[in-house]
Amino acid sequence: MSEKNREVAIKVQGVTKNFIVGGREIPILYGINFDVYKGDFVLLVGPSGCGKSTLLHIIYGLEPPTTGTVFIGDEYEWSHTKNWRANFRNKNIGFIPQQPFWIKSLSVIENISIPGVISGMSFREAIQKAAKLIELVGMGEWADHRPYDLSGGQQQRIALARALLLDPKFIIADEPTGNLDRRAGEKLMELIRNINEQYQITILMVTHNVEQYKFGSRIINMVDGVITSDTENKHNVKAIREFTELVAEKGNEVPNIKKTKRQ
Amino acid sequence: MAKKIQENSIAFQERSSWFKREETSHMKLGSILLIGYRNISMNRTRSILTIGGVSVGVGIITFLIALGFGVQDMVIKEVTKNNPENVIDISNENLENFVVLNEETAGRIKNIDGISAVEIRANIGGKFINGESQTDSVVYGVTPGFMEKANSNLERINISDFASSNGVVVTPRLAALLGYENAQDSVGNEVEYQAVIPKDIRKEEAASNENTENEENNPDSDSNNETKNIEKKVGDENELISKKIKIVGIINDASKADAIYAYATFQMLKDQYGIVAGQSGKVEINDMEKISNARSQIEQIGFVTESVIDIVNDINSFFTIVRSVLVAFGTIIMSISAMGMMNTLSVSLLQRTKEVGILKALGAKRTDIFKMFIFEAILISFSGGILGVLGGYGAAKGINLLVNTLGQRYGINPTNFVYVPMSFLIAIATFIILLGLTTGVFPARRASKIHALEALRYE
Repeated sequence: MSEKNREVAIKVQGVTKNFIVGGREIPILYGINFDVYKGDFVLLVGPSGCGKSTLLHIIYGLEPPTTGTVFIGDEYEWSHTKNWRANFRNKNIGFIPQQPFWIKSLSVIENISIPGVISGMSFREAIQKAAKLIELVGMGEWADHRPYDLSGGQQQRIALARALLLDPKFIIADEPTGNLDRRAGEKLMELIRNINEQYQITILMVTHNVEQYKFGSRIINMVDGVITSDTENKHNVKAIREFTELVAEKGNEVPNIKKTKRQ
Repeated sequence: MAKKIQENSIAFQERSSWFKREETSHMKLGSILLIGYRNISMNRTRSILTIGGVSVGVGIITFLIALGFGVQDMVIKEVTKNNPENVIDISNENLENFVVLNEETAGRIKNIDGISAVEIRANIGGKFINGESQTDSVVYGVTPGFMEKANSNLERINISDFASSNGVVVTPRLAALLGYENAQDSVGNEVEYQAVIPKDIRKEEAASNENTENEENNPDSDSNNETKNIEKKVGDENELISKKIKIVGIINDASKADAIYAYATFQMLKDQYGIVAGQSGKVEINDMEKISNARSQIEQIGFVTESVIDIVNDINSFFTIVRSVLVAFGTIIMSISAMGMMNTLSVSLLQRTKEVGILKALGAKRTDIFKMFIFEAILISFSGGILGVLGGYGAAKGINLLVNTLGQRYGINPTNFVYVPMSFLIAIATFIILLGLTTGVFPARRASKIHALEALRYE
């Protein structure tokens, strides 16, 4: 399907982000432009500190861009109030942070039901929905345990179930496999891919694990706050892997990187 | 820039109506309370200590207040038992303006607006003699209405029979001093009473004349025939008169169990001893709003007035001071409890920064987070408050029971001196909610201001 015929879920236009540190303004993102289409499984890759997580937070509505716009569907989130953004996030976007923080006093299934509770459901109603999802991620037998009693891989599966609770249109995942061993990471990625394929949920995920590139349908490369490549995965897995290995080896000295013009 | 955003928005609206745009929703109160309850349950030791601190504070206040109100209530009940609020005691204690309460002054008082009745009481001192037993005693000469207004507790005779009798009612102690081991045995017997009658309340020559008339009118009366009357002048002012009088009943006032006195009808004292005026009396008020005016008018005549309201007011003033001291103590104790609570909630917030962060990241609003912390604080203060009220009241009741048990061994009637008025319960409930709000508001505000990202990055 050509890009013209595909519906855009997220439109990122000219996004820059500067942080003020010790009175100095440090630029992190330099004019980011890209579209995410419905049903995409986009992997946002690049070395640590290149601004992937910051970009993710801007798209998710937790952090405003310094300049530029991010449209989610037809909504420019930053033109609305804080409560509106919170409500929009809650109802439409699933979120899997790098460390899946939990409400310690609640059980696994109660934690999965939290987005529902935030949206105004009672615990009873939300738990009914959570019960189906905990089975989907294969963690049914752990429903009544405390989340912090589980392994890292198990916790991320639970985090995925939590992200799915309110039938989100897309999921934002900030390096969910970052703290997992290879096997657990692979299993989680398979699960996410299956959900993407079965339920057509758009996924935007940060990772810098080269081995996981095969799961994404599209790879967006970032280096030093700029997008260096944006490719459909089925054609370029090998090329991206080689490129990323090169970046890892030589950093910013890679000769064929075409940076977008910095603002 | 704004124009560009608008253009993009229009372009997107044509292609995407994909997202849910429901009204801003908030967490249900039940869910907020459940999370608060679970958090309190999870940190059991800390919660027990915090709730314990509040309950000890509230418990001490409840204990002291229950005793304070209870003792006040008990004292007031004792004081007002025989003194209704609508009855004023009047007397001629003001020696500079000496007046007596005779028919003329009683009539003047009765004409005052708001007064429905005036009852006279004459006090005469003298000596009861029964064979070899004799004792000094006061005899109060009263009108029947006076006895009713004084709520006197008579035995073996009712007030109306007493009013028509020519005898006296005596206290058990007086009966005992007259040689009757069992006070009831004295009823029906005649004793001699030598009274010293002040000149001011005695009608000159009246006693002997009226006595003669009585003898004429009562030819069947054996007692009068056998009466050994003594009448002699005692100094210039007083006169000693001795008469045989019959004991017709017992006056038993629990609060004056050992008192030595007797009551006779005013008419009998008039007939036997020539008394025509009293030194004191009781005035019944039919309109309590006019009591103040009535009292001042009575005082203008020359009498001193006393109302149980004065005593009740004095008692209330005293206990108000006592309660103020208790409240001051309670405030200090509760301040310590409140600081403990604030500390707990602040520590709880620090430990839950990441929880707040993820809740906000997942869409929780500031007000949701604020409510979570506020209701947790209210849950703690309410649990502590209820335990404190029950504990404090229970402890006070326990002491009441202990005192009554010990008191009964020494023949003291059991009494209740523990009382918690509804106003106190309302006040303590308000206070508990305020405690939760004030101690919870700062941590709750801090929590609600936490930025999702700062919390997620927090280590």
